[in-house]
Amino acid sequence: MTSSVATHTGLFYDSDAQYTREAGGFLRKGLELGHRALVIAPPRQVDLLRAALGRDTDEIAFVDDGIGYTPQWNAYRVLLDFANEAPGVRLRVVAEQTLTGRVPAELLDYRRLEAAVNVVFADFPVDVLCPYDAGALPAHLLAIGRHNHATVLTDGDLAPNSGYDDPLAVLADLSGVVQPPPDATTMDCSSPTHIAEARRLVHTRGAEAGLAPDVVANVGLAVTEVLTNALLHGAPPAHLHVYDEGPTWVCHVHDGGRGSLDPLAGMVPPTEPSDHGYGLWLARQLCTAVDVGKDRSGTHVRLHTRRAAPPGGSDLRA
Amino acid sequence: MSPGPYHQAADLSSLEPGTHLCAFDRDDSRLARVAANFIDQGLSAGAQLLYVATDDQADALLGRLRAHVHAPDALATGQLVIRSFADAYGTRRPDDLGAVADGFRAAAEQSRKDGFPALRVAARMDDLAPLLGSTEEVLRWERMATGLQHDLGVTSVCLYDADRLEAEHQALLAVEHAGLCPERSKAPLASFLAVDEPWGLRIRGEVDVSNRDLLQRVLESRAAVMPRVRLDLERLTFADIGTLSRLSAVAAGLPDDGWLVLDRAPDVVRRALDLCGLGHERMRLEP
Repeated sequence: MTSSVATHTGLFYDSDAQYTREAGGFLRKGLELGHRALVIAPPRQVDLLRAALGRDTDEIAFVDDGIGYTPQWNAYRVLLDFANEAPGVRLRVVAEQTLTGRVPAELLDYRRLEAAVNVVFADFPVDVLCPYDAGALPAHLLAIGRHNHATVLTDGDLAPNSGYDDPLAVLADLSGVVQPPPDATTMDCSSPTHIAEARRLVHTRGAEAGLAPDVVANVGLAVTEVLTNALLHGAPPAHLHVYDEGPTWVCHVHDGGRGSLDPLAGMVPPTEPSDHGYGLWLARQLCTAVDVGKDRSGTHVRLHTRRAAPPGGSDLRA
Repeated sequence: MSPGPYHQAADLSSLEPGTHLCAFDRDDSRLARVAANFIDQGLSAGAQLLYVATDDQADALLGRLRAHVHAPDALATGQLVIRSFADAYGTRRPDDLGAVADGFRAAAEQSRKDGFPALRVAARMDDLAPLLGSTEEVLRWERMATGLQHDLGVTSVCLYDADRLEAEHQALLAVEHAGLCPERSKAPLASFLAVDEPWGLRIRGEVDVSNRDLLQRVLESRAAVMPRVRLDLERLTFADIGTLSRLSAVAAGLPDDGWLVLDRAPDVVRRALDLCGLGHERMRLEP
């Protein structure tokens, strides 16, 4: 392992003992090397690590997965913020979230997030370990771990992962366009003055959907930024479609721009203050999931918001 | 969209600086509505407004301004100035129109020095024909005003009592103007009103790609006079990232002892600033 190149490693554990031994050992080794350590994990895993690591936990930053992965792309932000506290110092990161409650749009985005780590952070001084509960997770969720980590941690050693897929191929595979349904509400947004009207539509529909005012305000900001991008950098016509899709409420921005799409656009913020380049970054920080794709008719950005849970029912999984 | 009653009503929200408008009506209260609409829109856009009218006409106007354009404040800051026709244009026939041009130029320059991005004028024109002596001279005056105001960037509306005009003269006057000023316009997305104490702006409504360049111009005009600027954002309901990056750019352009305070910024603005890291050392949030 050279110090200049990032590593992204999967850990597939069957027991608490295996989890604490492997993840704890990974963190402890980093601390011995003078690296800084960050854990984003469910509370139960945090408790296991704290118990196992004793006094070493004082040197580790812990973030509850309910914060670190809300929304999921916030995990990138947590990592970047942690890195910025001590530029140049190598990081050890253990990153895991509770996947079982995720809706399909979120799981799609989680696959993108896991694939993109390999490219976005490739030159970053960081070693990321992603533990997967092999004893509990269904096969399709374990597969996300199996395909997106170049190495696997077993008994304290890193071994190449034969199931690893090319991350850009994974991202391309996940960029398919979904068309708005026939019953979507559609608004023409080809002029700058239409953007305020689009916000009005988002606020009205969001409130009707029972979403909290701050959630609706976030979606209004995300829609504004994506529409503004479409107007300034895309091509007419630009439309906003609003509709429900299973457990999520979708604000779908479609413009006629046919230029090439950077598959990594907006996964990290612009490094210098700039007049643009924040749209997709902000959307991913404000919405529950973001699909970006292209077809012959132009560019599609779909901003998902989880709908309010039905009374008494918690199962939103489609 | 032009909800005004006139067929060729100008869109006050997208006027080129220096547009020369007019209005004709027999009904004084309708002329007052046109004046109030023009002045509302201009004040909201951060411009300085000069209303040339009698005391009675001025009183009628103040009662018609939209609630958010708090007339006493606008008068106190000098964003709204009311002058009699005699004070604005004199009581003697000018020897040549060059003297009038110099007066216009000085007023526009003073407006900039007072911290406004532009000067707009609404003027009751009833005393112009008596001053100049003939309808021919009034036409000549208006023609000159069109070119001069275009050069100086001074937008105006000339308000004529149609009872005092021959039909033919009214038609000739209309031709000398770029369009008719409507009685009503859609409320602007945001208003940018001058505040003197503390020096700055009160922003109300929403700022996005449609009006953020205007905000930047208004803000830069304030900062050019006094580089310590406070933005009262209590009634700001939305600002997009491009707006925040413009605020940051204005702060970056201030001298070392300058500052830009964002007073009572709403949560959506704080969240966006935080997510994008668009702060600047001379820009700060209070409280």
